[in-house]
Amino acid sequence: MDIEVKNLHPLEVRLLRHVSSGEDITADRLVSELDYKIGQCNQAFSWLTAKGCISEKTRDRYTLYELTETGHAQVKDGLPVERIFSYLQKNGPASLPDIAAALCLPQSDVGSAFGLLTSGKAACMNEEKKASLISDSLPAEIQIQRSLMQRSQDAPLRESDLTAEEKIAVSKLAKKRGAASSTFRLVEKEDVTYVLTAAGEEVKKALLEANITGEEFGLLTPQMIQSGSWKNGTFRPYGLNAPVSRLIPGRTNAYADYLQWVKDKLVSLGFEEFDGPLVVNEFWNGDALFMPQFHSARDIHDVYYIKDPVHCKEIEEPWLSRVAATHENGGDTGSRGWGYTFDHEFTRRQIMRSQGTVLSATQLPHAKVPGKYFGIARCFRYDQVDATHGADFYQTEGIVVGKDVNLRNLLGLLKMFAEEVAGAEEVKYVPGYFPFTEPSIEVHIKHPVLGWFELGGSGIFRPEVTKSLGLDVPVLAWGLGIDRMALMHLGLNDLRELFTPDIESVRMRRGN
Amino acid sequence: MPKIEVPEKLFFSLAGRNYTDDEMNDIFPVAKAELDGHEEGTIKIELNDTNRPDLWSVAGVARALKTYESGKIPHYDFFSSATKTQDNGGREHFNEESCLGVRDFSISFAAEGCTVTEELLLNLIQSQEKLCQNFGRKRKTVAIGIFRSDLIKYPLHYIGADPDKTSFVPLGMTEELTLREICQKHPKGREYGHIVSDKPRYPYLFDDKGDTLSFAPVINSAYIGAVEVGDRNLIVDISGPGIDDILLAASILACDMADMGFRILPIKVHLAKDTKYGREITVPYYFQEQTSCPASFVEKELGLRLTEEECIAALRRMGVEASVKDGIITVRCPEYRNDFLHAVDIVEDIMIGHGLMKFEPVLPADYTKGYLSKAEEYSRKVKTLMVGLGFQEMMYNYLGSRKEYVENMHISDEKVVYIANPMSENYEVVRPSILPSLLESESVSGHAVYPHRIFELGKVCFKDDDDNSGTVTRNHLGFLAADNQIGFNEASSYINTLMYFLRKEYTLQPVENDERFIPGRAARVMCDNVEIGVYGEVHPQVLESWGCSMPAVMAEFDLDLMH
Repeated sequence: MDIEVKNLHPLEVRLLRHVSSGEDITADRLVSELDYKIGQCNQAFSWLTAKGCISEKTRDRYTLYELTETGHAQVKDGLPVERIFSYLQKNGPASLPDIAAALCLPQSDVGSAFGLLTSGKAACMNEEKKASLISDSLPAEIQIQRSLMQRSQDAPLRESDLTAEEKIAVSKLAKKRGAASSTFRLVEKEDVTYVLTAAGEEVKKALLEANITGEEFGLLTPQMIQSGSWKNGTFRPYGLNAPVSRLIPGRTNAYADYLQWVKDKLVSLGFEEFDGPLVVNEFWNGDALFMPQFHSARDIHDVYYIKDPVHCKEIEEPWLSRVAATHENGGDTGSRGWGYTFDHEFTRRQIMRSQGTVLSATQLPHAKVPGKYFGIARCFRYDQVDATHGADFYQTEGIVVGKDVNLRNLLGLLKMFAEEVAGAEEVKYVPGYFPFTEPSIEVHIKHPVLGWFELGGSGIFRPEVTKSLGLDVPVLAWGLGIDRMALMHLGLNDLRELFTPDIESVRMRRGN
Repeated sequence: MPKIEVPEKLFFSLAGRNYTDDEMNDIFPVAKAELDGHEEGTIKIELNDTNRPDLWSVAGVARALKTYESGKIPHYDFFSSATKTQDNGGREHFNEESCLGVRDFSISFAAEGCTVTEELLLNLIQSQEKLCQNFGRKRKTVAIGIFRSDLIKYPLHYIGADPDKTSFVPLGMTEELTLREICQKHPKGREYGHIVSDKPRYPYLFDDKGDTLSFAPVINSAYIGAVEVGDRNLIVDISGPGIDDILLAASILACDMADMGFRILPIKVHLAKDTKYGREITVPYYFQEQTSCPASFVEKELGLRLTEEECIAALRRMGVEASVKDGIITVRCPEYRNDFLHAVDIVEDIMIGHGLMKFEPVLPADYTKGYLSKAEEYSRKVKTLMVGLGFQEMMYNYLGSRKEYVENMHISDEKVVYIANPMSENYEVVRPSILPSLLESESVSGHAVYPHRIFELGKVCFKDDDDNSGTVTRNHLGFLAADNQIGFNEASSYINTLMYFLRKEYTLQPVENDERFIPGRAARVMCDNVEIGVYGEVHPQVLESWGCSMPAVMAEFDLDLMH
């Protein structure tokens, strides 16, 4: 038996210490000797039985008759039949309605009570249709009932203690669980007797040895501290593995925590955070990035247009003229341009930001040299929403501006992101394509859990982008697809889960 | 991004060798391609460079790989140029002035000497489709027709025709329709007719017998335009509004067909107007300009000094002929490409040709200071307080339905920003407030143990005439608490605590005519006479609209007004 006696509940301790081997242990005994409540007895029995300290010896099922409220009143006032009998004794024959009125009894009760008197040969209906007595004494059965009622005033009657006659008599006055109008309530009870087991014996010995009395302090109260009464006893040790109740703490969102971690990481690497509005125009979202206005990613089926206002009021100069010239013939960027006529109305068209790169574009005219910038930007795409596409989602990206930055620096930056942000084991670079960078590089990483996957895209901004926006130094541009890592971090596999409105699932979510 | 499916055998034979999947994964990046699948003899390839239409075909990818591995530039001897005109063998093609303003140019070349197999036909159609769809902007700028040249009598004639008086039997049909009827009745007419249907005349190509080749860019004729397996002699016509795009498309197709075994026969095209290449062009025509780039620029961009020979060898692997003189690298763009817009495009080809993995990563040397944005710093401060008050942080989508953001909130949509082209009504409105997002949580979280205390720090967007965009994006805090006993007093306690720790002296003013709140149980939070937020007991009509049955209080603050 492997019981930590310190962990026993006081109810268990006191019981064990109180009883000896061979003695019967019953609830009655605990109530009278240890002042337990019935509920406490049952708790102690069930815990100790589960621990094997006591075992059931006998189980005695029996039936009790106890007086109801009505019964108690009838002991004093008499049963209806007794009252009618004494009324007739005193007043002579009377009609049943008169009796009912005089005794304030319902007609039906009077009828059935009179029935009892006639069948017991104590009364009859005379020629005037009046009830009249024909005996001096009540029928025998009524007398038995009266004596049972008297006897049960102190303690309920045990069915097993009754004679056959008494059983019949009482059953006529009793109903199961006791309807309010009946005299007796019939109760089925069970007395269980337990005895101490050998294991219980040992636990008791251990309790005595450890000097655990069950009178140890439970809750420490301010009064105990103030009075110093705690000094006169010991504290009951609590069960360490007891079930705990649930707390609902105030908490940050696990996905927000991850994004915050990425932000802090980038700040620690020398990047300054930028941000911008959700509604942007085609100029900054695409034109300034040298994406031709006819580029397929700028289709109505790729971006969300704003219903009103359809166009922004103006595009800031000199950027508009410079970018338009660059698209048409290269302007002064050293490019031959796209060779089409720039649409000045389309460029003012307003859309929901479709790529975080718009933040880089708007930063370029104000960028510090050297400078490093990043943003985690909510973007919107015209996509069917499913496990891998959200109506809106975050993109993480940024730029590095410097007189002498070059491809190898870009690779160095990507390697740093791969190792610092993604925990990559191996890094591979492959040529990529973005309309606004040349060269363009994709970085693939070998992740300890996810295996090889594309971490992000990057490149050196085309001079068509930087020079039109007044910057004559190279700019490294990069974007990281951190959603996939966020999902893994959170143990999820559906992008829609990142923005779930379900409170319970957000409450329980935790990062790795 | 174009995706193509190519037969393994044809691909390997054009590439000059067999590849395992691993080998393809390794080599494909030189063509900015990705292996997208390989099963039952079919290889799926995704092409990432939208400015390299020459790669969107089996022959194009195979050529890029073969050139890269061998370092040998393929030569095509059928091109004319400004300085050299190929013999057109009497084949001519006239564009008449009536086509001007309709679809200005139609050019063509012929090909023969190779039997069209089913496989070859499918690949030809795939190349044609990719060029028209992606490069040709759904036939708007490039449309291609392929015809059976044995049935044609030269010269070809291209005109702007009367849409109601010109008719022929279009491919896929048996009856003769006018050009206008084709736009209305033929599936291709309904798909592409809009490109020309607003013009007074429609583009029309026919031969010297008067037999129809096509109603470019919509549909070929059912007779001359129905190329079949077994045909050996073909004519390819390319039409469009700009000369460069269609010349490039012609060159790409001619090179692809030459690679597949055709002999390319030039056709002399008489254009309806003058171009920078003249008015008569023998097609295929090499029109690309030389591009140059200082060697020093290559070094500056790549961060690595390469010798002149290394640069030339790298470019050769990319199929680009180059020479160096006085430190200037001059390249001759391959016939099938036209993507050298700037010196940086040369630099990238050198980078790929040299091998990207040969460049050692180096961190940038510049020192820069990192900062969080002011808004982020402030929002973190608020977040700490909200968490301390026992609230759970939530994150929501910013697009939703009109029902959620307007109707359920019992507000007017006067300031709401709508999407003009929503994919579904579920994502039709940009959220003007965080409150509906919080109520959505309430509506789906009846099973979550109460009390509910939730908040979000996020962006909202609404109309604002003062801004250049007519809209404004703001950083907001929204929070909501729901329980069986909660009311204005609890909300006031939250507000009071928050304002104390944010060092905001505030006063409260009654809210009027705001159906989101129970009248008399809501307040505007004023700070220096500016309303920075609002809070109160959620009106039961709002709770009812959302299907919520637990009383709630909610609040929203404009953080950009507070820091």
